[in-house]
Amino acid sequence: MGRAYLGEFEELVLLTVAVLSGAAYGVTIAAELKQRTSRTISLSGVHIALYRLEEKGFVRSELGGATTARGGRRKRLFTITAAGKSTLAEMRQLRNELWNAIPNLSLS
Amino acid sequence: MANRQLRATPPTWAGRLLKWFCPPHMLEELLGDLHEQFDQHVAEFGEAKARQLYFWEVIRFCRPYFIQRRITTDYQTRNEYPQPTMISLVMIQNYLKIAWRNLTRHKTFASINILGLVLGMASSLLILLWVQHERSIDHFHANGSRLYQILENQQTTGNDLSTTPTTPHLLAPALVAELPEVERSVHMTPGNMLLLAVGTNSYRERGCYASPDLFQIFSFPMVQGNPKTALVGPSSLVISEAVARKLFGRTDVVGRSVRIGNKDDRQVTGVFQDIPTNSSLKFDFVLPSKPYIKQNPQAPRWSRNGWRTFALLRPNVDIAALNAKMLDFIHRHDSTLTMVTTFMFRFEDTYLHSKFTKGQPDGGRIEYVRLFTIVAVFLLLIACINFMNLATARSAKRAKEVGIRKVVGAERAYLIGQFTGEAVLLTIVSAMIALVLVQCLIPLFNQLTEKQMAIPYDNPIFWAGLLGLALITGLLAGIYPAFFLSSLQPVKVLKGNSPTALLRFKAGAVLLRQGLVVFQFALSLLLIIGTLIVSRQMHFIRTKNLGIDRENVIYMRVDGELTRHFEPFRQALLQAPGIRSVSSSAEDPLYTNNSTTGVSWKGKPQTDNTMFFELPVSYDFVKTMNIQLVAGREFSKAFPADSTNYIINEEAARRMGMNNRNRTGGPAGSPVGQTMSFEDVPGTIVGVVKNFHLNSLRVAIEPLVIHFGTTNNTLLVRTQPGQTEQALASLEKLAKQFNPAYPFTYTFADENFEKLYKSETLVGKLTSYFALIAIGIACLGLFGLAMFMAEQRTKEIGVRKVMGASVGSIIALLSGDFLKLVAVAIVIASPLAWWAMHEWLQTFAYRIDIAWWMFTLAGGLVTGVALLTVSYQSIKAALVNPVKSLRSE
Repeated sequence: MGRAYLGEFEELVLLTVAVLSGAAYGVTIAAELKQRTSRTISLSGVHIALYRLEEKGFVRSELGGATTARGGRRKRLFTITAAGKSTLAEMRQLRNELWNAIPNLSLS
Repeated sequence: MANRQLRATPPTWAGRLLKWFCPPHMLEELLGDLHEQFDQHVAEFGEAKARQLYFWEVIRFCRPYFIQRRITTDYQTRNEYPQPTMISLVMIQNYLKIAWRNLTRHKTFASINILGLVLGMASSLLILLWVQHERSIDHFHANGSRLYQILENQQTTGNDLSTTPTTPHLLAPALVAELPEVERSVHMTPGNMLLLAVGTNSYRERGCYASPDLFQIFSFPMVQGNPKTALVGPSSLVISEAVARKLFGRTDVVGRSVRIGNKDDRQVTGVFQDIPTNSSLKFDFVLPSKPYIKQNPQAPRWSRNGWRTFALLRPNVDIAALNAKMLDFIHRHDSTLTMVTTFMFRFEDTYLHSKFTKGQPDGGRIEYVRLFTIVAVFLLLIACINFMNLATARSAKRAKEVGIRKVVGAERAYLIGQFTGEAVLLTIVSAMIALVLVQCLIPLFNQLTEKQMAIPYDNPIFWAGLLGLALITGLLAGIYPAFFLSSLQPVKVLKGNSPTALLRFKAGAVLLRQGLVVFQFALSLLLIIGTLIVSRQMHFIRTKNLGIDRENVIYMRVDGELTRHFEPFRQALLQAPGIRSVSSSAEDPLYTNNSTTGVSWKGKPQTDNTMFFELPVSYDFVKTMNIQLVAGREFSKAFPADSTNYIINEEAARRMGMNNRNRTGGPAGSPVGQTMSFEDVPGTIVGVVKNFHLNSLRVAIEPLVIHFGTTNNTLLVRTQPGQTEQALASLEKLAKQFNPAYPFTYTFADENFEKLYKSETLVGKLTSYFALIAIGIACLGLFGLAMFMAEQRTKEIGVRKVMGASVGSIIALLSGDFLKLVAVAIVIASPLAWWAMHEWLQTFAYRIDIAWWMFTLAGGLVTGVALLTVSYQSIKAALVNPVKSLRSE
């Protein structure tokens, strides 16, 4: 196991960072996830996932410009790294292989 | 001008909370994100909701993830940003670490403290659950604040008032018709046992007759049928879900037919949810009262009681003004009833405040509720005192820590905070363990109290209460040691003197400690003496000769065919094996309830208003119940006129002035052969029985008239001693033969009797358990103190032994100190206990005397247990080889 473990929620957050390329930060990620999964998403959960992903090296971040909408505070923008992309690809491939290995595909 | 476009801003204090625990370098982006989301929420849901969401979002940020990172960054940056505040996370971590090390280093003391607190908290939790349950009874009705019960005051001899809940059925409709304040009113019977049958599936159930508004006044929700109309039709029947399931196997049974009392077919018009356990009104079916009243051939009279009446008042009624109108309500309708007044009493209060003297509420069950609340507080106090004592006694061990902390800059307030915080933490941990213990014990406790209590895990008030309890206990237990410890002067503590020597001079602290031990033991002693006296009184009641013999007597209900063919049934029983004698009565003769003023005799003064209890019986009653006949004979088949003849008790004869012509001027000689009339039916007195207890031993023996009844519903069977099995077999066989439609059920008279004293028995059991726990906790504390003392005086003991002291003298020296305290406790507690128990015994008309030996026994017990606890440590200390204790200096 060379690769760091990625939880289900972390995977979703990582995918969303990739989807929102360039405009990914706490609020937009939470909004996107809320809309797509219709789960209740808390900002704190998203942030923890983002920081963990950063510690694992799957995303990198930089402080963006301030807007008045945020009480004049800057935002931290996240972008996916090459390592993040390859992990996602690996995971997808693994899933595909598993799906193909199911003998009778007509699952119900 | 104010800017009307001013944007909504998120609550700043929530932001400050975030600032406190969140790592500083993350703060800006997190606050920014929160703010942005807040603006979106304002647009979407409005400001109020957005603020609420913001708050919860901030709370969700309180996670170990952020707090851990905050602590690590604080460590890294503390040189740059010194934070001289006691609530800084680093300091809190340090406090916790030191607290934990102290606990694990002195495991015995820690476990004594925790065990004491757990026991104290678990028992007070159990008690408080019970108290809460008692207080919640009847408090679930939606209209609770407007529900009133109408009670009747009857004037008895000696200008006394007796208050009863029984009223005439005419009262309820008259209240609604005549008093605008009354919105609705209902009358109901206190309870009737009837046979409910569907086909061959039949059960005796307890239900009542009631007027149609029952389900609109009380919140007994109906699952089927219309609560407004279910009781209107004369052949309607409303049953509980439990009965519906028993009879039909399901609950959607409106329109189905049920046979009542084996003769009467009724349509089910409604099904109500089973009455909750916290209701004092209990019934499993309801029948309309109108047809039931019509059945009675006698005209309705205002003097004919037997119904309970409840009223739903309109909102904002002045109850004092209404009660002024209620006073002569019955007298206005029947001018002959001059001795009867009525008043309204809050229904929610009737369960706990059921006792009335002179027409005023005067205790009842509430006394037990209060008593046990006090016991709960006592137990907690005793546990708190353990904590305080051990903490102050052992403060020597932490004196150095305090000194060092002060030297490096701790202020007194921080130290107080640290030590109280430690105590609170310990109590919170204890509370959690206590909760687990309570969860394990609650089935047993439920069995004991015959309730269905559960820990209300889903109730935030419960958690708040538990937390409050832990906080209060923690503060109470921790505040004194905290002040004491934080007052130590670092110079003295650290100078090199042994801190123990320093502390030994603190006479005030020692005195306080001793005072607390005395207090603990005084409380334990109070509980023990209480237990002793309650159990003696219960024993007295159980074994007192009542003048009526409840051993070897079986009760069975007389209903169905048995009522019609009672005499043949009785004769058949008399022939059966195992049965000595058979009779019947209209109610349990050990608990006669019905009374009347309608007794007259020759020479009765106009002003005499004596209440006579009445008991309708059939042949052989006196013989079956082993009552002693003083004069005359009992009812017999040989005398057909006996259906209007009477038997009275000695008390009745005395009140009627029939035994002593000189004092009251009544008719001369023996009452036998005299005439009297009972409710306007004249007859002859054929016998006089010795006084026997008609009712609970709380009340004195009242005059009694025994008359012949034809529809008695209680069969009394005296069995041959030791042949109960045969008797029951014969009874069952004959009951099935005579009355095949009814199931065979029976009870034993002595078991019924026990039930009369259920609450006293319960109180006795509970106090004995809690007294045991109290003395246990107190001894735990004593054990800890003795251990500490022995440890402190190791050197002294060593020197004494070297100088030639014997083991015995050292044990006496060490134990003597503690025994003095226990002796003081006995002196303080005994008069208090005597007074409290004297008051309790006053509630019984027949009671034991408080004897000196009870105090001696309790005192001896406490001294013995304390001695045992202390001597273990004393002996251990006395046996230590002085070479070991004096080896190092």
